[in-house]
Amino acid sequence: MNWNWFYRMGSPRWFYETTSRWLPWLGALTFILLVGGLVWGLAFAPQDAKQGNSFRIIYLHVPASFLALAGYFLMAAAGAIGLIWKMKLSYMVMKCAAPLGAVLTFLALFTGAVWGKPTWGSYWVWDARVTSMLILLFLYLGVLALQYAFNSKDVGNKASAILALVGTVNIPIIYKSVDWWFTLHQPATITFTQAPSMHPAMFQPLLVMILGFYCFYAVALILSVRVEILARERKTSWVRERVKQAAQNSLGATL
Amino acid sequence: MKFQFDNFSHLLNMDGHGAYVWAAVAVTVLLMTWLIINPLLQRRDVFEEIAREVSREQLRQDASREGA
Amino acid sequence: MISNTGFWAFLRRDLLLINRRRGEVASPLIFFIMAATFVPLGTTPDAELLKDIAPGIIWVMALLATLLSAESLFASDYHDGSLEQMLISPQLLVMPVLGKVTAHWLTTGLPLTLVSPFLGLLLSLPAAGYLPMMAGLAVGTGCLSLLAALGAALTVSLQKGGLLLTLIVMPLYMPVIIFGSATAQYSIQGLAWSGPLAILGAMLALAIALCPVAIANVLRLTTIN
Repeated sequence: MNWNWFYRMGSPRWFYETTSRWLPWLGALTFILLVGGLVWGLAFAPQDAKQGNSFRIIYLHVPASFLALAGYFLMAAAGAIGLIWKMKLSYMVMKCAAPLGAVLTFLALFTGAVWGKPTWGSYWVWDARVTSMLILLFLYLGVLALQYAFNSKDVGNKASAILALVGTVNIPIIYKSVDWWFTLHQPATITFTQAPSMHPAMFQPLLVMILGFYCFYAVALILSVRVEILARERKTSWVRERVKQAAQNSLGATL
Repeated sequence: MKFQFDNFSHLLNMDGHGAYVWAAVAVTVLLMTWLIINPLLQRRDVFEEIAREVSREQLRQDASREGA
Repeated sequence: MISNTGFWAFLRRDLLLINRRRGEVASPLIFFIMAATFVPLGTTPDAELLKDIAPGIIWVMALLATLLSAESLFASDYHDGSLEQMLISPQLLVMPVLGKVTAHWLTTGLPLTLVSPFLGLLLSLPAAGYLPMMAGLAVGTGCLSLLAALGAALTVSLQKGGLLLTLIVMPLYMPVIIFGSATAQYSIQGLAWSGPLAILGAMLALAIALCPVAIANVLRLTTIN
């Protein structure tokens, strides 16, 4: 099997130039999906029979939670690839995925709290999923703190990659324990019975939003990885060429 | 698919749930915009830094050539 | 086959070293007792209320005490250069690491387990809770020591790694604390407590299998660079 594509993918220059071509399209697609899905979900989807209009927060909460968790696995996978194949680019991906994932986890918690107030009568409930999300935020913060604690960027990258991997082993255990803990202490007054199935008219905009969040994640991650590449490869001729071009065409500098 | 609200103020109010829904939307939009804007600003800074470095090296080279 | 000579050698060496500075062993223990005393002062002396939260308090305090003592696990070896000696020797580092962690558990986890009935007394823990709590602590503090050692290895080269160590290890402690205090709570409620204890045992087995390998690799990374 030919592995050339794999090694080429590890080249920062290749990544930069390829994403330059993709970004405008991906950005436009993200914008259309997010704006379309949000307008659809907020104004056109039918309201929930029990929860009324507060249920519309689902269109932000569920996609953010999805990406928060998926982002952790992506970060750990990038760290593992960096540790095994010593690929510079994958450390950059890991480094940029950490703050991005932390912000999305915070968003999932925030939208969950705001949704909880009208639904359960309180901003915070020690529900199993809410608690797991909070622990996920702690895991992200740990990786971030470790990343920036070392003077040497290289050691910081490797150490936080290992921590992210340890976290990945732990996440299923944490989720299961919190689930078990919740059933042990579940108060009788609050029941979290899920609707058996969502009406298609409610589900379709949610699907659009989830897709939109995935695209958004890709765009945000690519943008910050590109900055990382520029900063690290600043001495190379291809970066200098880019800078020269941008100086000639000041519009290009903003894109 | 039909518009679920009678008018604009009904959309804002959402039968009393408007404050919650719109607060969630506002914070999400704000943070997500920041996630896009921040790397773009950083990128501009890096470009300017590299441009300064290049011109400094250029000056140094010119000076050494004149000296020789 | 991995020989276990490194295990006994490092266990004995660390126990000897710890024996020379006994104050360090006593500190987490005293902290454990003092901090737990503050809870009734901060909440209520009502025995009825205290007995419900007693297992939880004892577990949280045990967790903090383990974290407090973890920073010194590799610190002195790092500063006097013996860690580097260990790393350049051809021997696998896994068994020595396990020996060091065992020494750590013998000097923190085990004493914590042994004084925990005293705390149970202060916090009016019901009689049924003592044996399960001690069994849970004995097994659970093993997990805590292994995870704390991982954090200590990650932060060993940092000037002020103590707080960072706490920060990165605490989320990983979540399952241990849930099943640990559940062991005591189950028995207080008259349920069979072997279930949560067995899960704690499974976690310990998993941690013994995975943590020393991870710690050995992390030490190589943070010390050599």
